[in-house]
Amino acid sequence: MSGNSVPARFNVGDRVRVRDLPNLFYTRTQMYVRGATGVVAERTYEDLIPEDEAWNRDGAPREQFYIVRFRQKDLWSGYPFETDTLQTELPDRWLEPAGG
Amino acid sequence: MPTKEALDGYYAVGARLGPIKHEQNDWPYEITRAEFAAYMVPPHDVGGQPDAPVRYEEKQEELWELNTYVTCEVLGWRGIWNSEERRRLGNNDLGATLYYGFPYYGRWIWAAARMLIDKNHITLIELLEKVAEVKARQQKGAA
Amino acid sequence: MSHDHDHDDHDHDHDHGDGHVHPAAPMVEEITDFEVLEIAVCELAIEKGLFTAEDHRRFTEWAEQIGPAAGSRLVAKAWTDPAYKARVLSDPVGACKEIGIDWAEPTGSGTPSDYMNLRVLEDTPTLHHVIVCTLCSCYPRPLLGHSPYWYRSPNYRRRLIRWPRQVLAEFGLVLPPEVEVRVEDSNQKCRFMVLPVRPEGTDGWTEEQLAEIVTRDTMIGVALPRPGRTADDVRPVHKARRPVPHEGGAEAHP
Repeated sequence: MSGNSVPARFNVGDRVRVRDLPNLFYTRTQMYVRGATGVVAERTYEDLIPEDEAWNRDGAPREQFYIVRFRQKDLWSGYPFETDTLQTELPDRWLEPAGG
Repeated sequence: MPTKEALDGYYAVGARLGPIKHEQNDWPYEITRAEFAAYMVPPHDVGGQPDAPVRYEEKQEELWELNTYVTCEVLGWRGIWNSEERRRLGNNDLGATLYYGFPYYGRWIWAAARMLIDKNHITLIELLEKVAEVKARQQKGAA
Repeated sequence: MSHDHDHDDHDHDHDHGDGHVHPAAPMVEEITDFEVLEIAVCELAIEKGLFTAEDHRRFTEWAEQIGPAAGSRLVAKAWTDPAYKARVLSDPVGACKEIGIDWAEPTGSGTPSDYMNLRVLEDTPTLHHVIVCTLCSCYPRPLLGHSPYWYRSPNYRRRLIRWPRQVLAEFGLVLPPEVEVRVEDSNQKCRFMVLPVRPEGTDGWTEEQLAEIVTRDTMIGVALPRPGRTADDVRPVHKARRPVPHEGGAEAHP
């Protein structure tokens, strides 16, 4: 296994927005989170991104994965409950810093 | 009055009765960007799609399903593929028609078979001959 | 679904000696194309040296003994031992070893689909977790066994993340608006289980008594544990045509 990894850009508590790269062939970045802003809840592990692992690109660089927490009201139009949240896991490159 | 089960049956049939316009897809010259996006979104990404409440069921596992699960995992254990490759193949590459049309573990074994050919561990002809051989064995056993 | 018995030109007396052969083995239609494909793939893999029959047997042995009892033990121990609960939250894989579950089994480095990144989601009186994998059916097999069929279904995966309270209500679980419902979409290599709030009316209970009310559905988050609730709600069970044979006793998976 190759040892190269990309430096992690985010810490717990950082506000992040999910990137919406073009959607071709394979991804584990769901449609419903693309463009959404959430908060990093946990740094989990470093690993290949799914887009590389799904083609067994063993030598590709590893990235930090994060559990990101979203307010349901920010994900869905007309979501009626104020405090409900959703968490899902995303690799570093799929996130960008969100303002404020 | 009908039983609860019979009533559920009537509703299930009734909900499917309605006029529908059939548009055949036979290589259009052009498609819209929205259609391109809709076609290209990986089939496994279903979260948030509307759907109706349905009585959730348990399922007793078939022997072939347990064997499929084990075969796929052992192929991973021995480094022939990893689970992300399996998910890419069996939840996406096979396309929306098979994604919805095949049983759950049917997609697992489809993915394993496809992977073995893609990675040149077996040839397609070897697979076809082996499937024919297994079928012939089953026929003989049943006679 | 039953198959037709096409006996239109002779009677059912199979000893009649009329020359027609009635197979004692299952009719060919019962042996599906998928079963044929699985046998073909498995035999070819062994012939090509990709894995051995012993590998297959060993993994089958592991797959047949996993079940939710392990998760129940973990929750019961966490409820009675605050120091263990702290370890469950800070070092979940290590805490599993204490209740006899090694996430490295049976390969030595984890199963290909379950990995070794367990996270335990702690419920509180104002926070309720529920788990789904919208993209496939990721599930903490070493602790909970095989996922229920409905958990894998597109219907559950479509609806739970967007209408969680409606789906929970269909399971009989209605939560007040002040409780935060947090959906965990398990879409990468972490695997999750819920650590429910210990219910009222269980003071002085032993770990065994507590484990009895920690059922599979309470660790997915679609049910709450309570005294007297020692089984998940009865659901229709789609029977297998040719199920996994078991030598008496409970099945490893429904």
